Amino acid sequence: MEEKKKQKLFDKKRADRGPNQRLRQRTAVLIILILVVGFGATLLRLSFLTMVQGSELQEKAVGQQLSDTVLTAKRGSIYDAKGTTLAESASVWQVVLAPINFDDDKQREAAARGLSEILGLDYENVLEKTQQKNYYTVVKRKIEVEQRDKVIELMKTLTKEYDCGSVIQLLDDYKRYYPKDTLASAVIGFTGADEQGLEGVEYKYDKYLSGTPGRIITAKNARGTNMPFQYEQNVESENGNNIYLTIDETIQSICEKYVAQAVIDNNVMNRAGCICMDVNTAAILAMVTSDGYNLNDPYQLPSSEVDRIKQLPKEEQDKEESKALAAMWRNKCVADTYMPGSVFKMCTASMALEEGKIKDNSSFTCGGYMRVEDYDIGCSVTSGHGTQTFLESFCHSCNPAFIQIGQLVGIDKFRDYYTAFGFSEKSGIDLPGEADDSFWPEGQMGMVDLAVASFGQNFSITPLSMITACAAVSNGGYVLQPYVVSKITDADGNVVKTMERKVKRQVISTETSERLCEMLAAYPEVNGAAGGAVPGYKVGGKTGTSEKIGIEKNVSSFGKDYIASFCGIAPTDDPQIALLVFLDTPSGGGYYGSQIAAPLFTEIMSEVLPYLEISTDYKEEDLAYLNVSAGDYTNISSEEAVTKVSNDGFIPEIVGSGTTVVSQMPTVSSKMAQGGTIVLYTDNTTQPEKVTVPDFKNAVAYEVNGIAAMNGLNVSYNGAVSASGVAVAQSVKEGTQVNKGTVIAVTFKANAEGGSSD
Amino acid sequence: MAPNKKMLLKGDINRIYDEKIRNRKRAQSGPKEKFFIRPTRQRKMKNAKWFAVGMGIDLPFCIILLILLTIGTIMMFSASYAFAYYTQGDSYYFLTRQLIFIGVGLVGMAVMSFFNYNKFHSIAPLVLGIAYVCLLIVLVLPAGDGGVKRWIPLGVFNIQPSEIAKFAVILFFAHWASKYYDKMQLPKFSVLPGLVVFGSIAMLLFLEPHYSGIVIIGMLTVLMLYIGGMKTRYLAIGGIALVGIVLVLAVTGGLSYAMSRMDGWGQALEYTTEDMWQTTWQTRNSLYAIGSGGLWGLGLGQSRQKYLYLPEPQNDFIFAIVVEELGLIGAIIILLIFALLVWRGITLSLRSKDKFGKLLGIGLTSQIGIQVVLNILVITDWLPNTGISLPFFSYGGSSLIMLLAQMGIVLSISRTANIERT
Repeated sequence: MEEKKKQKLFDKKRADRGPNQRLRQRTAVLIILILVVGFGATLLRLSFLTMVQGSELQEKAVGQQLSDTVLTAKRGSIYDAKGTTLAESASVWQVVLAPINFDDDKQREAAARGLSEILGLDYENVLEKTQQKNYYTVVKRKIEVEQRDKVIELMKTLTKEYDCGSVIQLLDDYKRYYPKDTLASAVIGFTGADEQGLEGVEYKYDKYLSGTPGRIITAKNARGTNMPFQYEQNVESENGNNIYLTIDETIQSICEKYVAQAVIDNNVMNRAGCICMDVNTAAILAMVTSDGYNLNDPYQLPSSEVDRIKQLPKEEQDKEESKALAAMWRNKCVADTYMPGSVFKMCTASMALEEGKIKDNSSFTCGGYMRVEDYDIGCSVTSGHGTQTFLESFCHSCNPAFIQIGQLVGIDKFRDYYTAFGFSEKSGIDLPGEADDSFWPEGQMGMVDLAVASFGQNFSITPLSMITACAAVSNGGYVLQPYVVSKITDADGNVVKTMERKVKRQVISTETSERLCEMLAAYPEVNGAAGGAVPGYKVGGKTGTSEKIGIEKNVSSFGKDYIASFCGIAPTDDPQIALLVFLDTPSGGGYYGSQIAAPLFTEIMSEVLPYLEISTDYKEEDLAYLNVSAGDYTNISSEEAVTKVSNDGFIPEIVGSGTTVVSQMPTVSSKMAQGGTIVLYTDNTTQPEKVTVPDFKNAVAYEVNGIAAMNGLNVSYNGAVSASGVAVAQSVKEGTQVNKGTVIAVTFKANAEGGSSD
Repeated sequence: MAPNKKMLLKGDINRIYDEKIRNRKRAQSGPKEKFFIRPTRQRKMKNAKWFAVGMGIDLPFCIILLILLTIGTIMMFSASYAFAYYTQGDSYYFLTRQLIFIGVGLVGMAVMSFFNYNKFHSIAPLVLGIAYVCLLIVLVLPAGDGGVKRWIPLGVFNIQPSEIAKFAVILFFAHWASKYYDKMQLPKFSVLPGLVVFGSIAMLLFLEPHYSGIVIIGMLTVLMLYIGGMKTRYLAIGGIALVGIVLVLAVTGGLSYAMSRMDGWGQALEYTTEDMWQTTWQTRNSLYAIGSGGLWGLGLGQSRQKYLYLPEPQNDFIFAIVVEELGLIGAIIILLIFALLVWRGITLSLRSKDKFGKLLGIGLTSQIGIQVVLNILVITDWLPNTGISLPFFSYGGSSLIMLLAQMGIVLSISRTANIERT
């Protein structure tokens, strides 16, 4: 019975345990399914996403979270050699909308009304921008401080009255200003909307000027606004470097003034140019392309061009406008080529001398023309120069003589020197768009080619190459690399880079160079005003008149197109500067270099040389120029008067709207220096232009002349006017306002110590 | 020993008689089921052990639960912070509400832990009935966001009938299986009620529609029947039947909503069209968040994806923000705590003195595990994007209160389990 009981108990236990056991087993399965399989799967998946795909996913996440705002760097300034500002950037602002932050149309209308009023924009246009669904819509760029202040007011009003969020943003921006407007426009160039350099130095030195933009990297939420309390990374912008040009504003202005006048006087149809170079370093002191454009408004064509384009059919207008703009911006001294003409004779002469082909008794005969192979090549003097020495041939600019000199050099040597002078290579100037020369390819140069090449015809070089060669001829034979930028400083004024004289090679010996300087000096001596003589200074040079062959349009009044040029140096005993002037397609009073380029050279030099304090060297006969009587130019037509004034050796200036000259300044018989300005009034109503009298004291005679010319005044010379005399008194006190053209009597005293004449 | 017998005094006889009467009375009344189990001094002494101190609840389970709730709340705040700031203008919007829900839920949990769960035995069908009523009510109410009918608004907070249905199903089958435990092997007692209950609820959820609810209730039904003793072969048959139903629904086009949610499933990163890009926005940004977390995470509060990139980061996709901020390490720790909770809940339930307690406890704890797994598989794009919240983490009143109350039941089971064992 006990056993039965036990058995029963056991059965009961087993029966109890049976389902319990099954529950335990099944629970174990359940735990495995949930905790091992289920949780395992999640862990596997999470590990894969974080560890394997992590960086890829994170990159994508970061890509949508971070916003990158560029901080504009201030572009560096451009200064002239004396530190005058030629280009600078000033702070302006950009108005940007985040239209998605507008809540209703009331806000949109208020913002659009305010912005359109302040910024002078079309209301509908702005309203349309407020209706967009984005975070960044530019409303207006480059607004000035007054407008910015008004926009800030508007932002406050919008927040206060319309409960607007951040819908308007003002971003820092910069705008480029050119305080001298047109000065050296072809050299400086300008910048585009994003302040990127597009032309000239602005383009060439963009890398230095532009600086490094900074950036703000911020985390943004999905709506594009900043995440609160999230990270922000700032990289400060680094302002651009400042650039100092070798260009001297004063020299540049002088050159521009006279070139512009020459363009008008000679009806130059295809622009004129001028380069002034330091012969010992090849630094460019001035570089002019006539009709400079306003750098502050570089897309504005002159009105004559605008009118011309308006006449064209519609479809051609855009194309023609781009062409006109490109032509206007073009730096003719660097980007265009020309045939140097007789100016090149200084090179041919150098070659012959250096090669020892010229003997003391060398003579060259000119019969008005010379036959080379089947061609008769004419001389400017058709009757011929007869037999001449080497120097005479140069001073006569005799073509047949130079054909003979060229033949003495020979084709191969000629080519070698051509290359050595640097004509076949780019000068390497730090300006964009330098043109290539065009010369006869190797082996294709014949005797006829040599003949014309020896007087500078039928091959093309840039004016810059010509003046660089002229510098080499005069500076001891060194071919240098020309440059317009002298140094680069960072925003704090530390010098980053300095440009120095860079010698490429020596092409002729110092002795030959000295001989050439003498020859160049002889040219004005022999030819006088037609040879670019500058009273009181030892200048040398050579005229050039080249036919435009191959590219001529024959538009000038002479039937043929010419380029008149003059290339010279000063002073000839110790060359300091070289000056090349050229007038492309003159169509006025003349086309010979001696007629129109040499006077331009004289005009520029007579102002530049005193400015540069080049020592004077004038002969007693020059003094005659200092006391000339002004003629009577009244009661004749203004055209006649201009001609008469010019013929008398003065510079005419017409003031007024009439056609007949009614009065003149200085008056008839006033004693004044030749080259002075005579103001011709064509009516009695126009107020005379006032100028300030400068201080002439302690200046020598020719300095006085230059200072007077610069200021639009005339001088009469009293007292001991001599080579070393200095001014001790003047009839009108310095600082006084007088009419332009007034004669100031300056009294000179012999300077015992020798003064500035060294 | 007559003198001894004689020595029985009347008083003694009376005393013995009284004792007998008392014993009989006690026998007649039987072990009285009490609504509330009152801890006695004696029990307290007996249970003065590591794993059953205090009032007799399972302390490790309770501690794990509170740890999870704490971490969950902190993470919910961190995840919701920016979203609340932008949408509600108050960074603490969700936190304050969640804390109120937690307060209510903890009170509910405490009450439930004192409540004798055996009382549910008799009211299980009633609870199921209430669930049905709620499921029907929600269908006649106007549709909420996205045209779905999932919520019964009660002013203070909303009730999600599917949450009640989950509990009702677990409770009902725990009741059923413990009542008919011997007969559970018969399909009449296992497969049939399973099909009837699940089928009817699934139908109602389908009308809401609430597919993740169907999936979870289906899984819970199977789970309960399985541990309840159903023959394994019916499980297989049931599985096949389920697939069949889904296929039928698919053919009839009733799955269009689910399909639209499934559109782009697994393609969150390879979107090709603007539509697809929009559809997979949430999942894609969830993946971005998880990927950004890496091993160590960006640091607590440092999530960037919560700044409106991941919509409603405090809800179903909260764990993506958790991974972004705490990294894989943090995720593993949290999952381990969840696993511990599930483990502890199931093992303590197994120690319950009765079948009903065992089944109910296992069912309620398993629900947590299932939801965790499904939730994480959804946010990692291994399952289509359907609304499955993460227990103790996701924001939401009704589910949190319901969940804590259910945990209270598990704690109530743990009391008896510990009594039984000691």
